[in-house]
Amino acid sequence: MYILKRILTMILTIWVIVTLTFVMMKFIPGDPFASDADVLPPEVLENMRAQYNLDKPVAVQYALYLKGLASFDLGPSIESRTRTVNDIIKSGFPPSAFLGLQSLVIALFFGLLLGIIAALYHNRFLDYISMIIAIIGISIPSFILAPLLIKVFSVDLRIFPVATWGTWMHTVLPSIALASMPLAVVARFMRSSMIEVMNANYIRTADAKGLSTAGIVIKHGIRNAILPVVSFIGPLFVSLITGTFVIEKIFAIPGIGRYFVDSIFNRDYPVIMGTTIFFSVILVFTLFLIDISYRLIDPRISLTSKEG
Amino acid sequence: MKRILWLFIAILSLGTILGACGGKSDGDESSSGEDVKQEITMNAKSEPPSMDPALATDTTSGWVMDHVFEGLYTRDQDGKTVPGLAEEAEVSEDGKTHTFTIREDAKWSDGSPLTANDFEFAWKHVLNPDTGSSFAFYLYYIKGAEEYNKGKGTVEDVAVKALDERTLEVTLNAPLGYFDTLLTMWTFYPVKEELVSSDANWAAEADTYVSNGPFKMTGWSHDSELVIEKNDEYYKEDEVKLDKITFKMVGEATTAYQMYKTDELDFMMTLPTDAIESEKGNEDFEIVPYYGTYMYMFNVEKEPFTNKKIRKAFGMAVDRKVLSENVTLAGEIPAYAMVPEGADTPKGDFREEGGDYFKEDVDEAKKLLKEGMEEEGWSTLPAVTLLYNTDENHKKIAEAAQEMFKQNLGVDIKLANQEWKTYLETTKTHNFQMARMGWIGVFVDPVVNLDYFLGDSPNNRTGWVNEEFDRIMAESKVEQDQEKRYEMLHQAEEILMEDFPMMPIHFYTNTYLMKTNIKGSANYVNRYPFMKWAEVEAK
Repeated sequence: MYILKRILTMILTIWVIVTLTFVMMKFIPGDPFASDADVLPPEVLENMRAQYNLDKPVAVQYALYLKGLASFDLGPSIESRTRTVNDIIKSGFPPSAFLGLQSLVIALFFGLLLGIIAALYHNRFLDYISMIIAIIGISIPSFILAPLLIKVFSVDLRIFPVATWGTWMHTVLPSIALASMPLAVVARFMRSSMIEVMNANYIRTADAKGLSTAGIVIKHGIRNAILPVVSFIGPLFVSLITGTFVIEKIFAIPGIGRYFVDSIFNRDYPVIMGTTIFFSVILVFTLFLIDISYRLIDPRISLTSKEG
Repeated sequence: MKRILWLFIAILSLGTILGACGGKSDGDESSSGEDVKQEITMNAKSEPPSMDPALATDTTSGWVMDHVFEGLYTRDQDGKTVPGLAEEAEVSEDGKTHTFTIREDAKWSDGSPLTANDFEFAWKHVLNPDTGSSFAFYLYYIKGAEEYNKGKGTVEDVAVKALDERTLEVTLNAPLGYFDTLLTMWTFYPVKEELVSSDANWAAEADTYVSNGPFKMTGWSHDSELVIEKNDEYYKEDEVKLDKITFKMVGEATTAYQMYKTDELDFMMTLPTDAIESEKGNEDFEIVPYYGTYMYMFNVEKEPFTNKKIRKAFGMAVDRKVLSENVTLAGEIPAYAMVPEGADTPKGDFREEGGDYFKEDVDEAKKLLKEGMEEEGWSTLPAVTLLYNTDENHKKIAEAAQEMFKQNLGVDIKLANQEWKTYLETTKTHNFQMARMGWIGVFVDPVVNLDYFLGDSPNNRTGWVNEEFDRIMAESKVEQDQEKRYEMLHQAEEILMEDFPMMPIHFYTNTYLMKTNIKGSANYVNRYPFMKWAEVEAK
């Protein structure tokens, strides 16, 4: 029952997002067909507008769009005259998702590790070192870090290729650049949460029982401390796998991150809608999964909400 | 711990799989010795928006298509228009009917014969209103074309006809002096009828792509790379030395530059500004003219630019050499006219022949400004805002110009910028006083540059309409005598520069880096290097 209700809410949420995006998009001044080489006779322009249903009243456009959406057809792209939005997502999502997952793993693994170490050595040398790393990660923006990585590891040391896509070696630098910021955030989250948990009474009880330190940390400490991090992973996961404009641009990665930004500049209406919907579907669905995963981590949270 | 390890392994293997899907990018390091791999990698900067000759409107698509297609006419190594698929061309006495004989050995890249029917089909396909081609108007010179494209005529009335397999007859509305040059444009390329009529998406992927040029497309992984290889079916197959060209799509200039430096690219264009200084003088670096004009349009309907003398005063007050050498840095050519260098006439270069139409002269500018203000009865000049579209380079130029107007004319102007599509809307509705614009010729003839200012041209955002100018331009189009035609174009340009509805800033250039062991690339003033005759030599 709970799950069914959640799914209905999800569909409603997405419909609201679709509608709002559609309305806002129509308010942006400018025309997808405008260019500095404005040479189109009005009749030709009409032909082109008709191809994208732009000659019809906005309400009809909206209805037609929803109709297409119901059959998962996101329409043709205006900027690329030969590819559809479905094509763009189909070819752009895998590289973005791969980079996103890889950097998520890096961020979580090293972020949690740093956070735990910092908490266990609270106010000691290792704590300071970990937090310095975290602060550097937060404060250096990726558009600085990425060229720096290229300069050191590709141009000077020649270990990795500079950019583009193809082999796994191509994914290393962008993944690191992409991971640095969330890594730092995870580390700081984990540290404060872990410090709190380690001072809790049940840890003291466990200690008094005579459990080994490792046992306490792993069984009671991490498991409890990780909850706030999990709620942060949801949106992080979505933003990472749907690509990032800056990293994809600097490393020339054929992902979809750039389409979120470029489509707006090009007034490529179907792509603006398509990427927004794609993003929100993944986001809403991930949040749903996170909700469920809480229960797996913490049995105290029940899926059958009492008040209904 | 174990689970994390497994996750790592899973991701690593996923990486290998995905990597394998990414296409062949084994690089192209030329091995030493006589056996040099004839393969190069070039940066195209972005995905070609469309590889369909009927739909493409941009230079990136045009550049790649030039390599895989060939029209009735093409260009030689110096950029001169020469016959391509047309073996013979006859023109009727009234200059309107052209009869082309297509080479017997013309073939598609899949080996099937290319016939006159394919041309007839291709051009009618461009004109078909359902195709929605933006460049269809380039075919309006053909009789019945405009009517059909605008939905007022029928396809039967379009005067393009394949008389037999090898003969194509085209009738124009009026004689056209540069019809052969026009035919080098991609909109006039043939397409294979069987393919295009059965698969509307034929140009979206490499598998379905069939063309007829020196190269053929063999791989296209979108937003990443496009691979073309030598086309063995090309009729002058022996002239083509390169086996393979990979076009990478690296948009970030700094990244491309680093790829060039680490030999991941053999060619890149549009260097990052900070790299230009350090590359200057190197053997692999080149600044090439690019057939376009960077200008500030004046809105002649808005004060103070309703006055011609004031427009000229502004035009004379900018030091273009300083702009090029200290601001833009890419060796841009100071412009004192509309038509850039590079258009060939029987007497030489059109620009050299026409010369400069004005000089930078601060005293004269001050005098003109004063006179203009007196004519209008102004004691102070109405406030001026210079509008440009948001971009770092445009900003630098505008700021420098602002300073020059202040120093040289004593006029304080304001600057404003808008994002591109908004900017187009603003200028189109003539809601500006002074605004930046650039115009690049799709094909190389002064007519492309001058048509920009026709009274009914949708591009002319200045509000300037001159009947004399429009009349001469119209007459020049039907003039059959080339010398007279260019003479008329000079006259038209003179009228334009006399009225001064815009101030030219510079003629565009482009910056190239190409590895020195690649020889024989042809540089055209309106296209990136053409590699038909290029080859890789041992280092």
